[in-house]
Amino acid sequence: MQRTGILPAAGVLLLPLLFLPGCRDSSETASVSENPADSSNGRPRVALIMKSLANEFFSTMAAGAEQHQADHADEYELIVNGIKDERDLARQVALVEEMTAAGVDAIVIAPADSKALVPVLRRARQAGVIVVNIDNRLDADVLRQENVRIPFVGPDNRAGARAVGACVAEHLQPGDQVAILEGIRTSDNARQRLLGFQDAMQAAGMEIVDSQSAEWEMSRASTVAASMLSEHPELAALLAANDSMALGALAAVRAAGRSGQILIAGFDNISAVRSAIQEGRILATADQHGDQLAVFGIEAALKILKNPDEIPDDVETPVDLITAETVAP
Amino acid sequence: MTGQAWKRAAVQYGGLLGVVVVLLLVFGLTSDNFLRRSTMISIANQIPDLTFIAVGMTLVLICGGIDLSVGSQLALASAVLGVLMTDFRWPLWAAVPVSLFSGSLCGLWNGVVSAAFRIPSFIVTLGMLEIARGTTKVLTDSQSLYLGSSVEWFGVPLSGIPVSPAFLLAVGTVLAGQFLLTQTVFGRYCVAIGTSEETVRLSGIRSWPVLVSVFVISGILCGLAGLAQTARLSTVDPNAAVGLELAAIAACVIGGTSLMGGRGSVIGSFFGVLIIAVLQTGLAHLGVSDASKQIITGCVIVAAVFLDALRTRFRSNGA
Repeated sequence: MQRTGILPAAGVLLLPLLFLPGCRDSSETASVSENPADSSNGRPRVALIMKSLANEFFSTMAAGAEQHQADHADEYELIVNGIKDERDLARQVALVEEMTAAGVDAIVIAPADSKALVPVLRRARQAGVIVVNIDNRLDADVLRQENVRIPFVGPDNRAGARAVGACVAEHLQPGDQVAILEGIRTSDNARQRLLGFQDAMQAAGMEIVDSQSAEWEMSRASTVAASMLSEHPELAALLAANDSMALGALAAVRAAGRSGQILIAGFDNISAVRSAIQEGRILATADQHGDQLAVFGIEAALKILKNPDEIPDDVETPVDLITAETVAP
Repeated sequence: MTGQAWKRAAVQYGGLLGVVVVLLLVFGLTSDNFLRRSTMISIANQIPDLTFIAVGMTLVLICGGIDLSVGSQLALASAVLGVLMTDFRWPLWAAVPVSLFSGSLCGLWNGVVSAAFRIPSFIVTLGMLEIARGTTKVLTDSQSLYLGSSVEWFGVPLSGIPVSPAFLLAVGTVLAGQFLLTQTVFGRYCVAIGTSEETVRLSGIRSWPVLVSVFVISGILCGLAGLAQTARLSTVDPNAAVGLELAAIAACVIGGTSLMGGRGSVIGSFFGVLIIAVLQTGLAHLGVSDASKQIITGCVIVAAVFLDALRTRFRSNGA
């Protein structure tokens, strides 16, 4: 029994290794542009620490950064790491520690949490590593408490959501009922987009009758939106804080047999939503140029490296409104 | 059915039905538009995915195993479907069998490794959870795939009757699963293996073909669940169904299936799915905060299992 058991068991343990070469987005695989030990030629090494690379938004962002590095190979080296899912804070903290220990010159990070990452980033700063914050803004209060300055390079989510909301409002009458599908409430993006939607709806005189979190997730959003639709039969529009949830809302509207009667808007401009916008099923989304976000962060980090005494202020990156007129195929 | 059979069914499922009715009444009283036809239709059209998976999970649990990879298998099957239909422009009828086949392969792997080599299915399927999810991400390049109207018909209500083909197939699967479990030799073997695999072996019955079949069935049902979810959302989501294994296990346990094996009911699991779905929809109707949703869901799961334990004790004392 023992003898027959051990070999297959070893086989099972080893089998997943077969998948690794194809698994470029596997959580722990770091793609190192060059052997990190071989940095004697003076090029600075930049570590890009992302949220979940399984999320299209972040995988696009990482791909943009890798492309940029390939085009500027003589200027810097890039090490890209992601975590398995968006809530795996502990792993992201560990990644910052590992990159600091590996002696990188700069860390560009999309924090999975606006507060929890601050202490470890302060330690990285104290170790002499340049830190640039992208995508999800670190909490200003905690930064002040920890007494550390980290520049934020990224889009104004609130303004983007406001633009999307205003576009929806143009198609409605004042007093119409709208509902909001929020992201995960602990993240700053979710809060900013919610505020932006609220700004736009208040400005246009709409009534927000329901606002719930669907945790950024498609299937979850379809359940929540279905309930919103039957609880509020007069609903005229659903504003989703990301595109996955907008697709979930679209499915709920169709299942309720009300296709075309409810306006839907999202945020992020993922490819699946571009098709839906072309077909007229979704009204609008916002493009924050996800493929360039990490690049903006890396450029800021390189600039600081050249001139370490001058830590710049926050850099705002563009957010564009995407509708049927402006959508790219 | 004879009067006695009705009575037995009433004793077995009365408590679960009661929980569903109480939930419906509570939500009906506390929210304005819950007890309406449209809400019931929307619940019916949301449950096929979880129902398919819970049927397979029930069989696996009764055999004394567990399948943690169901959510990943669902995502993999829908990714196969989506890639074939978008990148290779296959028609739906050709892509579905391949997608179900991918589910059955995962199940075959789970079954063969755990049954033939006596490795706990917990760890084998935990491995498959990662393998299938990773493969899904490779296939889809971690991007959502929008399929549009080509798969919608399976998930949207039919004209005439308000439920979708997916719902009808899911109910059919529940009935077929219950029949398989209670009326066939295969079902008896499942219960026997879950009760005491050693005894089964000493009786001269080979247990591994039954165990492998059960995992393959679970895999194929995950494929169907993937089809149902893809049809409902018209989109393939590489992050679909993360954590669904826990919802499926909860549904089975609420329905009276034992995590120790040897005892369970497919119809009971269906009631478990209904309880979870009604709860989810009702809480969304009320618009309560996320934190309260989680607390309430947890309490209801424990309460439902508690009621079921009371019923079992009552029956064994009475008999």
